[in-house]
Amino acid sequence: MNDREQQMAQGLVSIFEKVLVAEEKSLQKAYFSKLSLAEMHTLDAIGPYDARTMTETAQILGITVGTLTVAIDRLVKKGFVDRKRDEADKRVVRISLTREGKIAARMHGKFHKVLARHILEPYDDNEQELLLKLVNDVDGYLSTQVARYDREDQLRKTAKEVANDTRRRKTDD
Amino acid sequence: MTDKVKREQIYENLLEILSEDLSVSTSDITPDFKLRDGLQFDSLELYSFVIDVEERYDIKISDELIDKVDTMNDLVNIVDELINK
Repeated sequence: MNDREQQMAQGLVSIFEKVLVAEEKSLQKAYFSKLSLAEMHTLDAIGPYDARTMTETAQILGITVGTLTVAIDRLVKKGFVDRKRDEADKRVVRISLTREGKIAARMHGKFHKVLARHILEPYDDNEQELLLKLVNDVDGYLSTQVARYDREDQLRKTAKEVANDTRRRKTDD
Repeated sequence: MTDKVKREQIYENLLEILSEDLSVSTSDITPDFKLRDGLQFDSLELYSFVIDVEERYDIKISDELIDKVDTMNDLVNIVDELINK
């Protein structure tokens, strides 16, 4: 690994860890200490306005309905989520945020916006455009990696491909 | 135009929400009253207020609009715009 790769690797890991820590701390300070970060993201996925089905919400979060059911049970008990059967189709369960849930989700959304605003603030328009493009490129690359690893049956093959790609790139250098 | 909710009515409703849902004494509040400075609302209290207003009128007040709110009158304008558009 050369110096730049080393710096990039450290930077990425550090950003990931610090965003998580900052989010956790903001939750504790924002009177929502009884919510974990994962629970807050579940509230985000449900959204502050219209009720969603369990299936829709599970898809947004990339988890199974079974896993979501456990999370929703806890959030209902804590008073952040309402769960009701659909009037027209009793097989469908709809979940929505309570007043407390809405406040928590909007406060957390505000945290994300303030974080982004402060990161962009020191830069002029062109620099901000460039920064956004770079962040999008990194995100796009990471999304393709996640998609590859999501196909569990191809995990071994994918790991080999990544190793071969890396080897090929090193040879090209 | 008679079915439109009048601005005075919106203002009265906002005072009612402040008083009933948030236990704020509204006797000193005027249309020019600054919400953040006057009531010393922090983000949590401001969101509580906004969410109660949203539920009362079945509207959505975005964060961008909330950032523009300084006085009671500003909030009346936003609600008026959203419900009477």
